[in-house]
Amino acid sequence: MPRDARATCLDATVTGMALSVLAEVGRLLEALAASGQPGAIDLRSLPLTDADREQLEELLGRGEVQAELELTGRSEVWETAYPGAWWIRHRGAGDRIAAEEIAVCSVPDILLAHPDDIRAAARRLQHDLTTQQAPSAPEAGATNVETPHV
Amino acid sequence: MSDKKAATRGPLTTPPSTPVRTPVQTLGEALAERGVSRRSFLKFASYTASILALPPTAATAIAQGLANARRQSVIWLSFQECTGCTESITRARTPSIEDLIFDFISLDYHHTLQNASGHAAEEARMAAMEENAGEYIVIVDGSVPLKDDGIYSTIAGITNLQMLEETVKDAFAVISVGSCAAFGGIPGANPNPTGAVPISDIITDKPVINISGCPPIPEAMTGTIAYLLSFAAIPELDHLGRPKAFFGEAIHDRCYRRPFYERGLFAKSFDDEGARQGWCLFEVGCKGPVTYNACATLKWNGGVSFPIQSGHGCLGCSEPGFWDLGGFYKPLSTAKGDPLKWAGGAAVVGAAVGAASAYAARNLRKKSLKAAAAAATPPTAEEKE
Ligand code: SF4
Ligand code: SF4
Repeated sequence: MPRDARATCLDATVTGMALSVLAEVGRLLEALAASGQPGAIDLRSLPLTDADREQLEELLGRGEVQAELELTGRSEVWETAYPGAWWIRHRGAGDRIAAEEIAVCSVPDILLAHPDDIRAAARRLQHDLTTQQAPSAPEAGATNVETPHV
Repeated sequence: MSDKKAATRGPLTTPPSTPVRTPVQTLGEALAERGVSRRSFLKFASYTASILALPPTAATAIAQGLANARRQSVIWLSFQECTGCTESITRARTPSIEDLIFDFISLDYHHTLQNASGHAAEEARMAAMEENAGEYIVIVDGSVPLKDDGIYSTIAGITNLQMLEETVKDAFAVISVGSCAAFGGIPGANPNPTGAVPISDIITDKPVINISGCPPIPEAMTGTIAYLLSFAAIPELDHLGRPKAFFGEAIHDRCYRRPFYERGLFAKSFDDEGARQGWCLFEVGCKGPVTYNACATLKWNGGVSFPIQSGHGCLGCSEPGFWDLGGFYKPLSTAKGDPLKWAGGAAVVGAAVGAASAYAARNLRKKSLKAAAAAATPPTAEEKE
């Protein structure tokens, strides 16, 4: 696992925090199953050592879905071995972890295409089709987005 | 003194004249044109929720708020300062999600960063004030000298006091960044030759948010701006006007050396065995127990480290009057060999130590850092008289 650069003498200590987080994930999963209520745990705000984080990742395991996103820096999302519990890791400057959470939901929002992006995509594709068929007559008012999203 | 509560934009501002504006793009629209997807907003929002200590589920609301917001006009005034605060917020590095905040604001005036100079610069300030009356944010770094009619610092032929009052008149809110703007800082240190005062001494009819620190942690500045943009409201502040999200806990409360403090294991000098073992730095002057800031959690340079992790005690730079405490290397308590006694107010041992020392530190919080240190330090010969 790539390590966060925050090296301290405590990094190798297993504090037991991973088990507490695991219990919380269990409670959130029960709530999701019972009422559809999503939840999340912000890992960055917890005093997890690197060893705790590794232990938690190992205990939660990996499930069927993994996604890598390029969003102004890398992000990784994977379903844990417990369907409905997702690990989301956002990387920032220097590939360091900028935000990290366990989301308990059917599908994390970050994987869904936003309606505004879908509308823009439809316009862009229409524009691309038009210019391909009649390159000399680009459609007026077409979006000027050139870089494909994601 | 009661805490200032979170407030919304509506009741806080009654701009004298709000010019009719043509519709401008939302941030969502503007950034989409540059290939920034809503997923990137959500990623930034997750990062922001995390640094603001909001639940991760708040990220969706933050992303929506930001996407629907207009680019925020910011006028940055620099008075008696060293530009360290600007250095901190603009820390040079590769573009990353943390820097997306700079796409959300329009920095309409900033001495160090703007291209314009002279009359053109001042005209840009005036134009931004007129176009965004009632909605722009004024960020100030540096204190304002009042002695001798404020002649000790002037810009564009007017005193800092005149420029501040003129610029803040139609602002939505003021953010004092750095301990100089928040509390007087270095210019206000004894004997304060220019009569330097913090911004909150002058501006009393607008919300003034203090982001103290020398310099402040960049995330505390950008996180506060992101909060203002997302929720169009002032975050909850402590009794010194600082956002509780960043200044709600003492360095000591979140310090990884705390277990050594609890066990009474202290470095006695910077090169002794205790220092090598990573023991608590209280006795070599650490001001962590009475300093409220986010260094121990957010850390510095993108989370690499913070002073205590690098072997140096906290200086207390985010507290009022930290320069005049009598020495960075002087323990808060000079009571020989028993800092726990100072922290707990009584002999405290075992499991009770943590709770008692935290309680004592919180009580000390009610006084200023200076008062706390004074209480913990024997009076000087002069004071005895
Ligand atoms: S006194 Fe300083 S070094 Fe010691 S635990 Fe408190 S903050 Fe950390
Ligand atoms: S550790 Fe203390 S002195 Fe250092 S930056 Fe943080 S608050 Fe300021």
